[in-house]
Amino acid sequence: MSRGFANYRIALVVVAILTSFAGVGARLVSLHVLQREKFLSYIEKAREEIIVQNARRGDILDAHGSLLATSRPLIVLGADPQAMRREDQAKWPALARLLGLSPAELEKKFAEKKHSAAETDEADGDAPSPDAADGHEVRWVKLGDGITESTYDQIKALNVRGIYGNRIYARAYPQNELAAHVLGYVNGEGEPVTGLERYLDFYLRGQNGWLETERDGLRRELAQFRSRDVAPADGYDAVLSIDASVQNMVEQELKLIADKYHPAKATIIVSDLRPDHAGFLLALGNWPTFNPNDYGHAGLAAQRNIAITDQYEPGSTFKIVAASAALNDGLVTPASRFDCTLESVEYKGSIRRLPREDASDHFDHPLSVAEIIAKSSNKGAAQLAMLLGDQKFYDYVRAFGFGQLTGFPAGGEVDGELAPPSKWDGLTITRIPMGQSIGVTPMQMHCAMGVIASGGYLLRPQLVKEIRDADGSVVYRFAPVVKRRVLSESTARTMAHLLEGVAMTDGSGTAPEAAIPGFDVAGKTGTAQKLVPVVDAKGRSVLRYSDRHHVGSFVGFFPATNPQVAITVIVDDADASVPGGVAYGHIVAAPSFKRLGEQLIPYLNIQPPAAPVRPQFAMEGGAQ
Amino acid sequence: MNKSAHAFVNQVLIGTLMMICFSGSLGLGTVWLRQQISLEANRNKQFEARLAEVNRRLDETAAAIAAAQSPEALKRRNDEWHLDLVPPREPQIVRVAGDVEQRLTAKNRARLFAGEGAATVTAVVYRPEGGR
Repeated sequence: MSRGFANYRIALVVVAILTSFAGVGARLVSLHVLQREKFLSYIEKAREEIIVQNARRGDILDAHGSLLATSRPLIVLGADPQAMRREDQAKWPALARLLGLSPAELEKKFAEKKHSAAETDEADGDAPSPDAADGHEVRWVKLGDGITESTYDQIKALNVRGIYGNRIYARAYPQNELAAHVLGYVNGEGEPVTGLERYLDFYLRGQNGWLETERDGLRRELAQFRSRDVAPADGYDAVLSIDASVQNMVEQELKLIADKYHPAKATIIVSDLRPDHAGFLLALGNWPTFNPNDYGHAGLAAQRNIAITDQYEPGSTFKIVAASAALNDGLVTPASRFDCTLESVEYKGSIRRLPREDASDHFDHPLSVAEIIAKSSNKGAAQLAMLLGDQKFYDYVRAFGFGQLTGFPAGGEVDGELAPPSKWDGLTITRIPMGQSIGVTPMQMHCAMGVIASGGYLLRPQLVKEIRDADGSVVYRFAPVVKRRVLSESTARTMAHLLEGVAMTDGSGTAPEAAIPGFDVAGKTGTAQKLVPVVDAKGRSVLRYSDRHHVGSFVGFFPATNPQVAITVIVDDADASVPGGVAYGHIVAAPSFKRLGEQLIPYLNIQPPAAPVRPQFAMEGGAQ
Repeated sequence: MNKSAHAFVNQVLIGTLMMICFSGSLGLGTVWLRQQISLEANRNKQFEARLAEVNRRLDETAAAIAAAQSPEALKRRNDEWHLDLVPPREPQIVRVAGDVEQRLTAKNRARLFAGEGAATVTAVVYRPEGGR
């Protein structure tokens, strides 16, 4: 072989290699430069993906850290009937047992291999065609949507082909009905509907993160191509002032009331009066109630937080306003007396008919202000308000928080009904003081009694104590909010003392049933006639006060000299189940106040006003 | 072909081979690097999945514990196990005034030295308001 031939071959190889490189280079230039945009858009469409990383919704905890609402993973389980294997059939009974289905039900689901023609047309957006033959293949049959992780593990262990689970985070209320109206609920779409779930959504929701990544041809994520990874920020936890144990006491009491009196509805509110906690609610319960885990089966009436959404005429509990106002303005003293047998009095130059007293009340002497409260005199309350005058009395009513929102955090609150003096008729000044011609919510009445208990301040009712981040650090702490001073401290103290007369066991008060042995209880009963529609002589439907439908209530606090806790019990329309047919507040509500009070004393370590003097002897000294 | 031409061809050849080797090793290196990145990314993904799994288990367990500790569930257990546990009532409660530690210390001391004081009996005083 000549050297020239060898050199020629080498040169040929070099040229071939270089040409190949040039070809590859040209192709690369074509792909990466000339056709870059075209292929890039195709690849981006096919491979790039943004995966949303859902933030976990924060928990709602009670005052001691018990979970009231949380987010827990659940699995939506489904099957692909096309992928089922004959050899797995022996495992179906075990699968059915885990899913809580009968084997026949499960087999029926697996047998759905094709959609019906009507379903297919509907899915396609077409009108059902009668001549359509078979529909599309069924690739997904839902087997269950509340499967827990542990059950899912057992299902996976069965190794049945064609069974798939999709994880979702569902809201759970581990304590079921407990504090349902306070918490509200999150619906199936993850939207908060009512209660604190809705009010605190800003804090609880958190912020979703996202991943910009790519997937391969089998739709598997190619983690190495993650270009952006924004971690989700989980929602904050909310710590409430609600105490699950106190809430349970309240709900047990409501159940007792419901079983015994079968009322249309009932409400109990318990709030803290201890320093640094004043205005915070310990419990709020309504009857009827519902289970937020199963909100779909609860009627709208049961879902309503009637403590703030429903108004009623408060009756005698409202007398605290006229009495407090007259005392605060120095118009009367507890010893000032009023003739409570009068049928009418002159007011602003005209004769005004005073309201009737209860049938059982016949006063043989002028009543002092203390007696007007203790014996709940309608005529006495009217005369106290007339001493103040329309405008002054109205101003006090407003100052006590009536006719305006209390600022209760869970939404849906109404402001009640309170007409300005310009719209009053001649009798209104005699009716509002006894709790008629005015609409209030149970929460407003509770807050009004709180004015006396807290030494004259109107406090904003609060439920949320703290907002904490996912690490448990406090992000925001709520403090008691004083809306305004309504009464002087001495007037509030005097009123508290006068209200002690209501629960006296010597028969001088209207509610000895509320008395708690060893403790001084201050409170006020209310028995308000309800306005019911009746047909008058002309055939029209008009509202009249009924003798057979009442709202019985008791609003109070204890110990009167050092208030620690305020309790409001309101029972609506329990007349039919009460002997005598009238659901007086001292019959349907005061006993509940007492029972709750007795349970709260040891639980909250409420000390009696002074150590009770026990007639006992103790031996000092001597040998033991 | 003269000598210098041969040398040039050889140089081109060697240069080409070296370039092939260099670019090949560069390519292989890149592939290896990408493989490592892929492995590491997948490992991270698995850790994340495990972490999410653990968090899910924690959430499920926390919900289960909360449900088991609810007043309703505790009451049911109390009935099922016939424990007859009830909250204390006011008459059952004796409130201790003063320092509890000192009181317990005094009580313990009195028990320890009970025998020594037996010989000397001091006068017994009755107080109508009670107390020790």
